[in-house]
Amino acid sequence: MWEFVSERWQDIAYRAFQHTSLVVQALVLATVIAIAVALLVTRVKALEPVANAISAIGLTIPSFALLGLLLPLVGIGTLPSVLLVTFYATLPILRNAVVGLMGVSPLLMESAQGMGMSAFGRFLRVQLPLAWPVIMAGLRTSAQMSMGVAAIAAYALGPGLGQYIFTGLTQIGGQNAVPYAVVGTVGIIILALLLDAILLLVSRLTTSKGIRA
Amino acid sequence: MSTASTEAAEPRDARDTGEARSADRSVSGAEIVFDDVTKTYPGQTAPAVDSLSLTIPAGQVVMFVGPSGCGKTTSLKMINRLHEPTSGTITIDGEDIRSKDETELRRHIGYVIQGGSLFPHMSVRDNIALVPRLLGWDKKRVASRVDELLDLVGLSPERYRDRYPRELSGGQQQRVGVARGLAADPPVLLMDEPFGAVDPITRQRLQDELMSIQEELQKTIVCVTHDIDEAIKLGDRILILQEGANIAQYDTPANILAAPANSFVEDFVGSDSSLKQLALMRVSELDLHDAVTARVGDDGAEAARAARSARQGGVIVLDDKRRPAAWVGLREAERVGTLRASSRDLEVVDHRATLNDALDSMLAASHGGVLVTGRRDEFLGVLEFDTVTEHIQTLTREARTGESDEYAITPSEDELQDSSVEDDTGSGSKHGSEDDADPSRGEQA
Amino acid sequence: MSEQNDPSSAEAGAEQPSHGLGLLVGLPLICAAILGGWTLWRQTAELDDIESRQLAWGTILDLTREHIVLTLVTTAIVLVTAVPLGILLTRPAFRRLSTPVVGFANAGQAAPVIGIIVLLAMWIGFGFRAAVISLGLYAFLPVLRNTIVGLQQVDPTLVEAARGMGMSGFDVLRRVELPLAIPIIMAGVRTALVLVVGTASFATFINAGGLGALIVTGITLFRNSVLISGALIIAVLALLIDWAGRVFERIATPKGLS
Repeated sequence: MWEFVSERWQDIAYRAFQHTSLVVQALVLATVIAIAVALLVTRVKALEPVANAISAIGLTIPSFALLGLLLPLVGIGTLPSVLLVTFYATLPILRNAVVGLMGVSPLLMESAQGMGMSAFGRFLRVQLPLAWPVIMAGLRTSAQMSMGVAAIAAYALGPGLGQYIFTGLTQIGGQNAVPYAVVGTVGIIILALLLDAILLLVSRLTTSKGIRA
Repeated sequence: MSTASTEAAEPRDARDTGEARSADRSVSGAEIVFDDVTKTYPGQTAPAVDSLSLTIPAGQVVMFVGPSGCGKTTSLKMINRLHEPTSGTITIDGEDIRSKDETELRRHIGYVIQGGSLFPHMSVRDNIALVPRLLGWDKKRVASRVDELLDLVGLSPERYRDRYPRELSGGQQQRVGVARGLAADPPVLLMDEPFGAVDPITRQRLQDELMSIQEELQKTIVCVTHDIDEAIKLGDRILILQEGANIAQYDTPANILAAPANSFVEDFVGSDSSLKQLALMRVSELDLHDAVTARVGDDGAEAARAARSARQGGVIVLDDKRRPAAWVGLREAERVGTLRASSRDLEVVDHRATLNDALDSMLAASHGGVLVTGRRDEFLGVLEFDTVTEHIQTLTREARTGESDEYAITPSEDELQDSSVEDDTGSGSKHGSEDDADPSRGEQA
Repeated sequence: MSEQNDPSSAEAGAEQPSHGLGLLVGLPLICAAILGGWTLWRQTAELDDIESRQLAWGTILDLTREHIVLTLVTTAIVLVTAVPLGILLTRPAFRRLSTPVVGFANAGQAAPVIGIIVLLAMWIGFGFRAAVISLGLYAFLPVLRNTIVGLQQVDPTLVEAARGMGMSGFDVLRRVELPLAIPIIMAGVRTALVLVVGTASFATFINAGGLGALIVTGITLFRNSVLISGALIIAVLALLIDWAGRVFERIATPKGLS
């Protein structure tokens, strides 16, 4: 086992980097999309049940099934991975962003308006900071989930550590089958916990002291 | 208040004159005795209750009051063994409460807490029926008991028994809570801030109703409150506690108001004790005026004629259970033809209401008086403003002397370990103060 | 962690009960539309040998049945283990253990489910058993966490009222705590069902059957028709299971609470 790791150290590190990079980029994309949609939902209240239904249905569709639907459209490789991970990453953030932004007291928004803040200023300086802890919580859920979805995307030759798991599966019976699967699985667990710790730290640092739990 | 002091040993109902009453009214309550009871919570050095001894006479309402953290709630919860004393004994009707299984004991003690604490997933019927069912009553008996209790607390069984708690107002929930506490007809009823969660008007009404019920049932009621006005109004006697459940004074409301034992009690009761005396006087102590009454559906003109000949300015319309339904002027009565129930709320007080409450209601009414009802909201008569003012003048002319009975405990100033009062504990009448500090709340004992 | 639908609605830490009728009516309609469209295509399309073998009605029904059995067996096992453990962890004697246990289970969710399935199959052998255990491990947390949260959110004054009225500890649990916790526990069960029905697609990798086979065949044999058919049927099945969970949630919620 140890030998397996030391021999492939560079490859493992590279794949871990790929895995993380895929997840982080998808998360950034997902956050922007989710906040934009949530903002729209807070402006047009009629959209709220629609957004909630999309979140609920989207999260119900198995990732393997969605991957199957994507492949005929975009082929195999990195692109389906990015689309798949981004799709699932968006939903928890969207759900929390809607809850968070809607949760800001209308009184506060009105007093901000009364003080002469522009619509954009009100969003950026009042609404977003107050909703931020909730949005960050959604982001952490998304990050955990994305780590696993990225592993599944590897089945369609996506980048990252997931390929080690599938290599282990195809080499079953061979002497390296178990090390491949273990390194893939444990590697993803470590990456997920590290990313979660980092996000927790970011969440604390970017949340106003006044509303920190 | 000469009457009060000479009859201090009696429950105040005994002075009641509002209704013909039999002298041999049966007391269904049981005596509760605390003997040197101490409770120390694990991990704390100072006892929450420090050697408390007192006797709660059968059939009386005893109010436990005191500042937050004085141990009043702990003392109450030791009676049904939600908390176990560290030392000392508590007896109910002479029997040590530890001689019984604790669930068995609790099934025979009513328990009513703030807001009613109804189980939201059970209908009104199921909430009330809970203890009778635990006791294995048969279905028929349970069903009739539920209806009887709903009637008792003034809720129509047909209308309310199948409702769920969230379909009731706060006051209605609290009524059901009282009904639930009385379900198995326990001799003892424990109440923990029972009316703390409702608005002042509803609270006053609930208090009046509780007094009516108590007049009928004669339970031993132990009630914790932080509201000294509530204690004065409801209590046959009041236990004022200081930190560690040290007794500052235990006596009738009249004696406590007339002769506070020490500066702690004085501060707690407040300086306006002469105004508070208004809360000691009941509507039932005054003469009510007769009024011309009619039934819903009667002819208005005829009723108006009867009223004119009796020199009355209005007609009181009653429903089929003799409850006031409307109070109409003569002209209006003539105009409407057939008398109907009023859609507006009537200004009605229970005959157990205090003069305080009655004056309140009069100010809101447009008749210069207020309708008084007795048991189960039956109409008794009209209380007029002049009667009240005359009564007050008479009483203030009379001298007050405090004379305590065998149950009273009146420590002198220097007997108290610490009679100095902290700033915030003085105003006992403030509402909505924090709960009793109770570190073990919610833990299984 | 992997897959869809992490149950944590983040701040609350537990999946909240579903509300509203929209999805309750909408989901079956969506599913019926997709299935109807697919059936129409299946009856009219010209299929080659491989396709017609893979998409034979018998084959599809067999795979679907395997998929459903796997899902229900796993969920049932999770239910009878996680709920009692959750109850135990909220009893006074074990209450202090609930935080570390939930923390551990949370961290365990960081494991990619596909990795767990593969490793477990390597350890105890391919087949149904390995699939049930690995999927069960994965679905355990939401049910455990929701059971604990559901019981913890029961108003302590209600519990005290119940005890003060003379109910035994077991009575309080059965007649007050569990009925009040049911909506949240059921939300956890629905989450578990959805997790399992989705992850059961991977059971085919360890020869434990299920509809995942269609996707794998479709990809390896370059038959988009098979691939899309498999994906659609799995998606519809997941939506229907979610719907059934919602219906069940509504039925199980005591009347006074809904």
